[in-house]
Amino acid sequence: MAPQVLKNYIDGEWEESKSKEMLDVRNPATAEVIAKVPLSTTDEVDRVVQAAREAFQGWRETTPYTRARYMFELKNQMEERFEDLAAVIVKEHGKIIDEARGEVRRSIENVEVAAGIPSLMTGYNLEDVSHGIDEDCVYQPVGVFCCVTPFNFPLMVPLWFMPYAIACGNTYIVKPSEICPVSQMVLFELLDEIDLPPGVVNMINGDKRVVDALLENPDVDGLSFVGSTPVGKYLYAKAAAHGKRAQCQAGAKNCLVVMPDAVLTQSVPAIMSSVFGTAGQRCLAGALVVAVGDVYEPLEEMLVEAASNLNVGDGMDETIHMGPVVTQRSLDRIRGYIEKGIEEGATLLLDGRDVQVKDYPDGYFIGPTIFTDVTPGMAIAREEIFGPVMGIVRVDDFDQALEVIHGSPYGNAASLFTTSGKWAREFEYRVQAGNLGINIGIAAPIASFPFSGMKDSFFGDLHGQGRDAIEFFTDRKVVITRWF
Amino acid sequence: MELATFGAIMTFALELEQRAAVFYEEAAHGSLQEPFSDLAKMAHKRAKRIERTRREGIAEMILEPITGMNGEDYLVELVPGRDEIERLSQAIRLAETSIRFYQDAAEKIPVKEVARTCQRMATESEKQKAELLRLQV
Repeated sequence: MAPQVLKNYIDGEWEESKSKEMLDVRNPATAEVIAKVPLSTTDEVDRVVQAAREAFQGWRETTPYTRARYMFELKNQMEERFEDLAAVIVKEHGKIIDEARGEVRRSIENVEVAAGIPSLMTGYNLEDVSHGIDEDCVYQPVGVFCCVTPFNFPLMVPLWFMPYAIACGNTYIVKPSEICPVSQMVLFELLDEIDLPPGVVNMINGDKRVVDALLENPDVDGLSFVGSTPVGKYLYAKAAAHGKRAQCQAGAKNCLVVMPDAVLTQSVPAIMSSVFGTAGQRCLAGALVVAVGDVYEPLEEMLVEAASNLNVGDGMDETIHMGPVVTQRSLDRIRGYIEKGIEEGATLLLDGRDVQVKDYPDGYFIGPTIFTDVTPGMAIAREEIFGPVMGIVRVDDFDQALEVIHGSPYGNAASLFTTSGKWAREFEYRVQAGNLGINIGIAAPIASFPFSGMKDSFFGDLHGQGRDAIEFFTDRKVVITRWF
Repeated sequence: MELATFGAIMTFALELEQRAAVFYEEAAHGSLQEPFSDLAKMAHKRAKRIERTRREGIAEMILEPITGMNGEDYLVELVPGRDEIERLSQAIRLAETSIRFYQDAAEKIPVKEVARTCQRMATESEKQKAELLRLQV
């Protein structure tokens, strides 16, 4: 059977793209083509923006209570299709089914939080700011927003933004990842099912040309982006040049600091999950384990043993702990980094390059890989590998550990494993990273908190999720009143 | 089958409840009609609870291997025949297996909410076993 050609969703209708250019979407476990994604034309971008713009006025006049009810309906639809959504994520991304279920759960949580919009969007006022004069601050929707999202959480990341945007009364355009666009198609089937007014939510497939056209269109008011640092920087600058607001979540190189007093039996599983979960393709993934003092030897031994026990294979198999990486290109890049690490003098303790997965000869598999004797100057310590590769760095004390963290241009996440409240407090106070974990491997903010980030990991001021999202997707209007 | 992940344990639990529901439905006749119909209804309810727990409990990603649980240790033959005593014996073995399975799962799964659900399932199975033993007398 020929793979499905994905459609755009414009103005409440599914539409075939007029574009002749298509990319293959592959199942990373088998390399089989599961869909074809069109690279839509700029004319189609103009139409999708026009549809969103025309829908805006009617939608902003819809009461927040009604908008919230759509969120409840979307949540219900997602719960109903929970397992289907998870399976689609596994097939297009490769992560294991439990991780995909986790992604669906986190996606739904954002819809649930956005359903609180009648409370979240309430303004504030103060009487008698001067004699007989009152002042009100009103939250109002802005207009048309769009998001450009990555392959690694193809269902969830658009939902860091879209539910809040439309609950606030804006209209929305999603440009899914061209590597993993299928789960957004399924999400839009559910959005179609809840019967939002035409043009409130729209989806357009494509590549950089679509993104540029969105940003150059004067009817688009803002952009949310999650992806790499070079692209994030480019889009942030371009959005500013075109007078749009933007929030651009970018790359990472996250450190997991392990103090001598850490409880290793509990810390090691958390580190495993952080580094090797989703085959290391998370912007919150731990990449460098910074072992402080004499914790180094026992920690190294336990990490290698635990990583050796992880089964690699097709994510749909529930006995598997780690799936493939997303594309052949990713696989080649990760292998390249492993070779570079060896060349730079790091010691390869566990080599995932030779992993064999029975019955999956074409899959993009790579096993857990661990380097030790890693120094901060090495490429494997500085650059984002985005794969299941752990580097272990040895330092003498806490201050040196912070130097390793701060030597990176990134500031996405960092974690500390300790039993000391003093070190935990110091870590929280001093570390320049947006998402911190204390005895937590993946410091992933829940939907009602902002997904933070600093330095080259985030461009903008307001983040996705939570109250930040409400601020991002609204204007504050101040009304000063006096009655004669 | 090694139950080495959260998903594998929850899927096994779901299948156990679904098999239990089918067994009780088919075995609900004669003097066991009423109690087994109730147990079938309960098994459906428990299956839904497991599905919900799988959906809810997964928010805390669990990657580390879970060791020491094998599906083979919790297999129970369910062939609802005509003999009432045999049907009752199978139901008791099913309840005993469920108790053991859910107690083991509660110990292995490091997410409190999920462990609590497993414990609740085990407690319910204990009550079911007591009720079935009473019917045996």
